[in-house]
Amino acid sequence: MADRRAAGEEGGDGGTNSSTTSQSRLSDVDEYGFQRPPDFDYATYEEFMSRYLTVLARRARKWAHLLGARETVGRGVKLKRYVRKGIPMKHRGKMWLEVSGARQQMSLRPGYYRAMLAGAPLGEEVQEAIRVDLPRTFPDNIHFRQVTQDAQVTQGKLVSLNNVLSAFCRHNAGIGYCQGLNYIAGLLLLVTNDEESSFWLLCVLTDSLLPDYYTSTMVGVLTDTRVMEALVKERCPLVWRHVEHYGLTWDLLVTKWFVCLFAEVLPIETVLRIWDCLFYEGNKVLMRVALALVVTNEAEILKAQDFGDIVKCFKKITQDANAIDCHSFMETVFKVSGSFPRARLAKLRDSCMEQVLAESKK
Amino acid sequence: MAQRTSVQRPSGGGQGKICQFKLVLLGESAVGKSSLVLRFVKGQFHEYQESTIGAAFLTQTVCLDDTTVKFEIWDTAGQERYHSLAPMYYRGAQAAIVVYDITNQDTFGRAKTWVKELQRQASPNIVIALAGNKADLANKRMVEYEEAQTYAEENSLLFMETSAKTAMNVNDIFLAIAKKLPKSDNSATGSQREGMTLRPSDPTPGPAGCCK
Repeated sequence: MADRRAAGEEGGDGGTNSSTTSQSRLSDVDEYGFQRPPDFDYATYEEFMSRYLTVLARRARKWAHLLGARETVGRGVKLKRYVRKGIPMKHRGKMWLEVSGARQQMSLRPGYYRAMLAGAPLGEEVQEAIRVDLPRTFPDNIHFRQVTQDAQVTQGKLVSLNNVLSAFCRHNAGIGYCQGLNYIAGLLLLVTNDEESSFWLLCVLTDSLLPDYYTSTMVGVLTDTRVMEALVKERCPLVWRHVEHYGLTWDLLVTKWFVCLFAEVLPIETVLRIWDCLFYEGNKVLMRVALALVVTNEAEILKAQDFGDIVKCFKKITQDANAIDCHSFMETVFKVSGSFPRARLAKLRDSCMEQVLAESKK
Repeated sequence: MAQRTSVQRPSGGGQGKICQFKLVLLGESAVGKSSLVLRFVKGQFHEYQESTIGAAFLTQTVCLDDTTVKFEIWDTAGQERYHSLAPMYYRGAQAAIVVYDITNQDTFGRAKTWVKELQRQASPNIVIALAGNKADLANKRMVEYEEAQTYAEENSLLFMETSAKTAMNVNDIFLAIAKKLPKSDNSATGSQREGMTLRPSDPTPGPAGCCK
């Protein structure tokens, strides 16, 4: 999913690879409907997929056995392990609802989504902001293509996306519409294939998992960027100094990672694996992923010898072969980030948020 | 649609001086900031360009007489709530393109606010260009050319109407900026690496390099 944009962003510096488009057995549209870009590295992807298919088959068997005829599962060490190894696509939407608590909220308030959908007209400004972003959400995905009649979008995921985002604005007027939510809601729709489920998952994300991310000041994003910087400084001081030396700030490098929860940043399969953990374990996994990306690519980052090279390097490490191999990637994420006490993270967040708020008052 | 336009590329060795400039694009959401950059850097245009989150970074090099000018471009997100991030991008920038959409009067108002903010808070010598984009949609025009031109003159801005779709004036506006940027002579080394740009914590101290 990040691929088309990648092709547009790499600048005039080439970036060719030895893909073998014509010989590939893979379609130029992936299983989620994303058009593969002309420079898609089929060779690397096929090599990964040939290994990953075995993993997927094994996980499918395990999950079938775990779930049996049940629709629900209790929390526990076993489930956590299962989630970290990836929820099969077949169960993903339902399990996200289940483990995040969204299903419970949904059943407590039947009809709420429909009421939000049919609520009072939105303010002109927010309506316009959504309208403008709809066709700019995953334009490279076949499910998000415009099907218009008399300038009205009439079918497909764009209608659903409009519905979910509008209903969400009425549900949480404080947040309203924040750019980035279009990609998140869009991906939720692709996975759940259901507006109401996507709405409730979006509510869980913004109400409890990432409470300050999408507010008018985006203080949560600014805070977590700073938390990440503090962790990098501690775990990877050379990288921290390197970035500092070239006059870069961490906001410049990683804002999008946090805003989009890695959607439109990492390859789609990898994003979904991260979201599996996000819905089960909470927002800590975002910090783990961010940190692991830096730690595992330390040598690469240190090699970059100017401002522009570093920015491009931070882009490259989210799209290289390691990022594509989602299974090894997630194993590495948990191995590298290691023990990550919740209390410590909470404390770090508090102090970083204090700084952010103090600076914004200046 | 994807053919390269007439931006001159550096021909390798034997060049004169090399200058590196930081340029930022600002403006309301969906006025075409990313499209202008995509046209300038890759010669491409997408009818539906993905909304930019945070900012995107790109580079492009143009040749101007015997000088090679390398632009480091920050293409920023337009939505108001990303505003608090904007100073990070224009801090230390030597040039800015403030973009509005000629079919939308509000975006012109927003562009004026950006210009004011830059005049107040960016580097005092920053070169600011105003781009009235979507000039191909002249039948839906809501901002008159003369109105924008007068405003630009009053504020000493470069001004062009552009179309990322048809490529009209896209290279021209970047070239006009490159021409207006100061290029001193003490940089015949050809080194691109250090001291070429104004950055708060750049390791090279003092007014070294060619692009101060």
